[in-house]
Amino acid sequence: MYATKQPSLRIKQADLKCKNGCGYFGNADWDGYCSKCYRNQMEKERQKKSKQSQQGDHSKATSFSKFEEKKRQQSDKKTKYFLPVFRKTSSLKETGRPEKYIDIRQMNPDADKLLAEFISAYGEWGEAVRKDFLKCVQSFTSKIIHELDLKSVEELADIAQNYYQLYNNRLNNNAVYQSVTPEVRDKLLDFFERYSMVSLYTFLFCPPSTNDEEKDLSIQDRIRKLSWVNAHHLDCCISETSLEVRDLVYTAINDLLGMDSMKAPQEKLACVVRCCRSVVEVLQHCQGGPVSADEFLPALIFIVLKANPARLKSNMLYVTRFCYGARLMQGEAGYYFTNLCCAVSFIENLTAESLNMPQQEFEAYMSGEVTCVSAWESALVACEGMHQLCEHLSLLKGLSERMTAVRDDTQKLKDDMHRLKEEINDKVTSVLERTPLVIQPRKTILPLTMEFLKSLPPLPDKVEGAASDEVDTAPKYYQQNITMNQMGLSNPKPKLQLDITPCVSLPSASEVKPSLSTEFLTVASPAVDKSLDSITPDDNSYLGLSKINYDIDFSDISAENSIIEDLGESRRSPTMSFTPDPFSPMGTGCTIMQSPLVPSAAEMPRAEDPPARKNDFVLPFLEEIEKEGTSEETLLDKVEETPTICLPPPIKPTEYTGFSKQGSKIPSIPCNTGDFSSLNSTPNAGSSKDTN
Amino acid sequence: MSAGPYNYSYIFKYIIIGDMGVGKSCLLHQFTEKKFMADCPHTIGVEFGTRIIEVSGQKIKLQIWDTAGQERFRAVTRSYYRGAAGALMVYDITRRSTYNHLSSWLTDTRNLTNPSTVIFLIGNKCDLEGQRDVTYEEASKFAEENGLMFVEASAKTGDNVEEAFLETAKKIYQSIQDGRLDLNAAESGVQHKPSQPGGRPGTAAGGDQPGRDNCAC
Ligand SMILES: Nc1nc2c(ncn2[C@@H]2O[C@H](COP(=O)(O)OP(=O)(O)O)[C@@H](O)[C@H]2O)c(=O)[nH]1
Ligand SMILES: [Mg+2]
Repeated sequence: MYATKQPSLRIKQADLKCKNGCGYFGNADWDGYCSKCYRNQMEKERQKKSKQSQQGDHSKATSFSKFEEKKRQQSDKKTKYFLPVFRKTSSLKETGRPEKYIDIRQMNPDADKLLAEFISAYGEWGEAVRKDFLKCVQSFTSKIIHELDLKSVEELADIAQNYYQLYNNRLNNNAVYQSVTPEVRDKLLDFFERYSMVSLYTFLFCPPSTNDEEKDLSIQDRIRKLSWVNAHHLDCCISETSLEVRDLVYTAINDLLGMDSMKAPQEKLACVVRCCRSVVEVLQHCQGGPVSADEFLPALIFIVLKANPARLKSNMLYVTRFCYGARLMQGEAGYYFTNLCCAVSFIENLTAESLNMPQQEFEAYMSGEVTCVSAWESALVACEGMHQLCEHLSLLKGLSERMTAVRDDTQKLKDDMHRLKEEINDKVTSVLERTPLVIQPRKTILPLTMEFLKSLPPLPDKVEGAASDEVDTAPKYYQQNITMNQMGLSNPKPKLQLDITPCVSLPSASEVKPSLSTEFLTVASPAVDKSLDSITPDDNSYLGLSKINYDIDFSDISAENSIIEDLGESRRSPTMSFTPDPFSPMGTGCTIMQSPLVPSAAEMPRAEDPPARKNDFVLPFLEEIEKEGTSEETLLDKVEETPTICLPPPIKPTEYTGFSKQGSKIPSIPCNTGDFSSLNSTPNAGSSKDTN
Repeated sequence: MSAGPYNYSYIFKYIIIGDMGVGKSCLLHQFTEKKFMADCPHTIGVEFGTRIIEVSGQKIKLQIWDTAGQERFRAVTRSYYRGAAGALMVYDITRRSTYNHLSSWLTDTRNLTNPSTVIFLIGNKCDLEGQRDVTYEEASKFAEENGLMFVEASAKTGDNVEEAFLETAKKIYQSIQDGRLDLNAAESGVQHKPSQPGGRPGTAAGGDQPGRDNCAC
């Protein structure tokens, strides 16, 4: 058996079996016997011992380890004696009150959970079965708790195994369980073990009365010292550099590590089984074929060495002691668990010889003189690095995705804005097509206009006719007012009527450039009026000189259609049309002052009246005005006197108050210039301006 | 491990957490063995160590779980957070990235432990002053903002190592005295007396039950 032989990597199947030759799996913790034979053996020894003690012969203590165990228990009892709490509780225990195990259950959430699961399923088993089950569990747990102080953990394990056996017999023989199917019986037996062990876990796992914890620490230290051992040393074919293999190895390691977190013995055992299955998978992957038992053990040793599972010994001893013995003696679980025991015992006892390496080298490694960075270690570090790298990469990926999304959205917004612009453009164009702007001359300046027009070779009559027409009918033409508070003017409402009309020819309706603001104003003016009712033109009239209002009455436009239709003739006259820049941010208020003043030749190519083109000049550009004026001595000279004086301010309106302010003027200005009959002072204003 | 059983009246469970390579295993080794383990192999999953200390005349057994920093073993290490009375959160003062990860470690700890768990921040490797990457002031501020105790230590020289473990124990002991820490709670991380036969089963139940949630098989 392994305990006696030199540890070897190659273990024959027979070596795993009970040394009694009964055919069941043996275990190092059972001195190489199977669970059953070990117990028989123990019984024999006990009887021998009691005989010996009767004879008073103490020299033949069974074994040193037994002796140690006894000593420990004695010392435990001694220390217990000095701890009052212990005294109290043990006296309590002697009374054997049943509430003790109830306490355990209450304080153990795991047991609670399990019980709830059981109760939820009891309908399947029946009330009588449930009652009997709980009775047996209580009898078992109370028995264990009674004996905790008095018996060694091995004896407690015996008690547990006996109870499992008793309950198993009861399941098969008692009348209560007659109606229960064999599968449910298996479930009940399993649950009996699970439930009672979870309840008693704190008392039975790594009990302080044993040296289990010391064993854990020593094997942990041993494995740490053996961290240099690699697959090559173990003569096992696990490739330490293959990525897939490493993943599988990690799975196996994680399975084994999970054992410490489980409470029920069968759950711990299940972890071992899972780990071993993963090991088989690793081997299958590495050698691409069926795995022989010979290759399995070295691979498992490798896994145990690399995993260094927490409290390894405690866990294995707990399973050995309190797992239903039949489970460990046969089947897959039994086989794998026995293998694990072999692996651990190999690790505990391995020498240079068992690794086929010179003693010196082995010692150098063990003492830490020589450290070798194995592929495994490097892989571990590299893996962590890779993990961080991947983490960062995924972070960057997320960022770049978000950036793309932002860029797309920006582009979309841009497109939307462009579309909106086009839309508005189209709308404005269509509106302007329906309602072209016509600026017509005023009566007061008619003589001048006529004079000027006369100087132009073609079409003087037309102009004259048109102009007079307008005057006569007091047309509602588009009116641009520049209201200035002129110093020294007695008129409370001095208005300078700036007529650009005579200067620019009216292009065909299609030529009128669309204006954003025109439509806007027409639609919004009522609201604007309302909100700005308080600001009246009269108020403005008292403002200083610098205050310049561009009163644009767009409400006229709506009314204009009919007039224009009426004045079909005049429309073709070289009256000025102004083409507001649709995209001027300042809107019509400005475009009136600016764009119409810059009716470049390009803008007027389709003007129906060639002579009118001659008058395509730019009002604010005085040079041009002067040039034309001086060269031709037209009435423009006089007409332009007004603009020359008052135009510079509009270009830089110091107190330009924006649309809303203008909007407020809308109601104040009559719908047509017909009211200029009441504004007879206008020419005066113009003349007074001239004098300025 | 050197002391016999029952030489103590409490068991406190600690966990040590932090990035890989910050010196968690070295700190534990320094505390339990009073030695610096320069070439300590990488921890896989968890390792543990114990030592008996004395706080206010009471002997207390510290059961310390040293966890692996690697993400791959997070599932295993997480099960040990539950039922920890103290958590030592370690970073390496010479590597800023380990400091930057503290907030995620802290979140994990707060989520997986109970509210009474004492969290102690350790800036390790303070012997490497020349390579310092994180100032004392900065970490101190972080600790204050998050209500952590803080010390800079060196597993190599042993500076402040004892202090960190002992201060944590004192704070836990204080919590017990104040009644802030309920010994009967299943996962307080404190066991009054080791799991004793018949003795106050309620308090004992708080013991060895890391990862009870894993019993899903
Ligand atoms: N200089 C110095 N090195 C340290 C200290 N603590 C740990 N180390 C080194 O840091 C490395 C990682 O330590 P380890 O305990 O394995 O880190 P873990 O992954 O957090 O357990 C080892 O090489 C140690 O030698 C320290 O306080 N000072
Ligand atoms: Mg470590």
